[in-house]
Amino acid sequence: MEKNLNQNLFLQQFNESDAIAYNEGFTSSTSDYNFRLLENAYRNTGRIYAKLKLAIDSNNCQDETCAYELSEIKHLQEAPQLSLDFLSSLLAELSVTDDPNFDPNNNFKYTAANSVMTAKPGFSKSDGYNVYLDLLPNGAQQIVFIGPAFEEPLVINNTALNALNESNTSLVAPTPDIDKDMLRLLTEVGIFSPDMVGENGQLTAGAKITEEYVIMNPDGTPDYEIIDIGNGKGRNMLKYDLDKIEKKVTPFINAEVAGLMSSEQDAVAAWNVYISKGTSVEEDDQMVQNANAGSSSWSYTEDLPLSQDKKVLFEKKYKEYFMNNYLKQFTTNQFPTVQADAAVFDLAEAKRAKAQKFIDDNNL
Amino acid sequence: MLGAIIGGAASIAGGLFGASSAKSAAARAAAQKLRLQKKLSHLENHRQGIINPYEDVKSVAGLATDLSSKMSNPFANLGVATQAAEIQMEESDLALAASLDTMRATGAGAGGATALANAALRSKKGVAANIEQQEKSNEDKRAAGEQQLQEAKIAEQRRIQGIMMSEEARVQAAQAAGKQFKFGARETREQGAIDRTYGELMGARQDRAQAKADQTGAITGMFGSLASIGGKLLE
Repeated sequence: MEKNLNQNLFLQQFNESDAIAYNEGFTSSTSDYNFRLLENAYRNTGRIYAKLKLAIDSNNCQDETCAYELSEIKHLQEAPQLSLDFLSSLLAELSVTDDPNFDPNNNFKYTAANSVMTAKPGFSKSDGYNVYLDLLPNGAQQIVFIGPAFEEPLVINNTALNALNESNTSLVAPTPDIDKDMLRLLTEVGIFSPDMVGENGQLTAGAKITEEYVIMNPDGTPDYEIIDIGNGKGRNMLKYDLDKIEKKVTPFINAEVAGLMSSEQDAVAAWNVYISKGTSVEEDDQMVQNANAGSSSWSYTEDLPLSQDKKVLFEKKYKEYFMNNYLKQFTTNQFPTVQADAAVFDLAEAKRAKAQKFIDDNNL
Repeated sequence: MLGAIIGGAASIAGGLFGASSAKSAAARAAAQKLRLQKKLSHLENHRQGIINPYEDVKSVAGLATDLSSKMSNPFANLGVATQAAEIQMEESDLALAASLDTMRATGAGAGGATALANAALRSKKGVAANIEQQEKSNEDKRAAGEQQLQEAKIAEQRRIQGIMMSEEARVQAAQAAGKQFKFGARETREQGAIDRTYGELMGARQDRAQAKADQTGAITGMFGSLASIGGKLLE
């Protein structure tokens, strides 16, 4: 698992770093990317098709029904459509490895295959790579990748790929856009009023949690937290009832997680790239490179289907991630909505006034 | 570059790219559709149960008590003033006997004794009548006072009981209204989430249909090119 991860990370970094542009050996040699995939695959098909046709037309079939010849002709007639479907499906699958939030726990061979198919520097015929499309006797097709990055040839069969696609499964697990999902989730959890949601479906710049969740004094005024801003000055900040907020948002988070679990491999990708370490969004880009290699990663081959324990853990960490990286900014350092309370004040004076109010309120 | 890799006409390569990105879009839309369906099911399955806001309402009839047992007849204890008269009579008899003993010792005549006895009797009757009148008056006043006291106590108990019953009923009504409000608010919120997710689901379905159409278009475009390659190979 770790070897696969490192190879994937190496390929990613290699493709992104442009290092090869500074490699004299590469720049001085000719790169041949002409794999001629379709031409090679269909090189002899014309002759075979003609022979089959002639056999039928001249009553020279293997048996009197010409079943074999008719079947082969059918395969050949269907082959071009199959090839195009197969190649476009394969390219779509492999393109996931180019996503910025791609999970390097996916099989690194697909990253290498994508590099070959998209003619990335260092993956040409002259670098020792080749790719073949084979038309199999049973009408199926397969593509074979060979080269230095593949210890053994990577073989992908079109019927297997179709079966995966039909069952909404992928060869390469795409990572959900957690940032987008959580920004949307913020608007759905019911702690912001609808007028705080902009036309783009996200919270507006000045969005604030509704007053229902602000901690209040018995007299109905907000119970401010006084923040020392230096030079003997202070400011009031709103305090929020975090327990109440958590109770409110939890059902919506659970529903979101239930949706994510519709494709467990996507959930694994989200776990590996974003959730497991509980890092902030800013750290995630780097995490793909480094932290993702951590021991808390889940394996696509060993951890799927996800056990109940893992599902529960995912839900717990997903909530933490949402609370820490998305909701926290709305519950900390929030200025009062009452204009007069939002002004900067003398800290010592405010503390005295607060103490006096406490004495007065409690008849001390 | 893909054209060189695949070989053949450049339009095949372009078409393959178009078809592959359409397939990616279709796959993303399908995954999104599935995800939203799951989310929608979760939201629907985890909606709050229908509540009866009045389920906790209890009868407050138990708070009403029969106060009649606390009532009593204040006149039941009225004393009959005959005992005082009997005492007076006994006292008069004793005084008369004593006077007669004195007269007999002093040698007074029989007529004097009779007059003395009559006078003593009248005197005693008068005193007795006065005492009896006072006692009766006092008894009447005590009974009237007792009656007023009991009436006042019952009135107060009725007042307190009325307050308790109406307050209990008010609290129960408020609790029921509160539950109804909470249910309504949550129902609105949950329905809002369900409606929103359903809307997104419809959007994902449309995205998928569009991506499928794009994919079909891209592949159809490639066929002309592939046919020409096939033609060349047959030549």
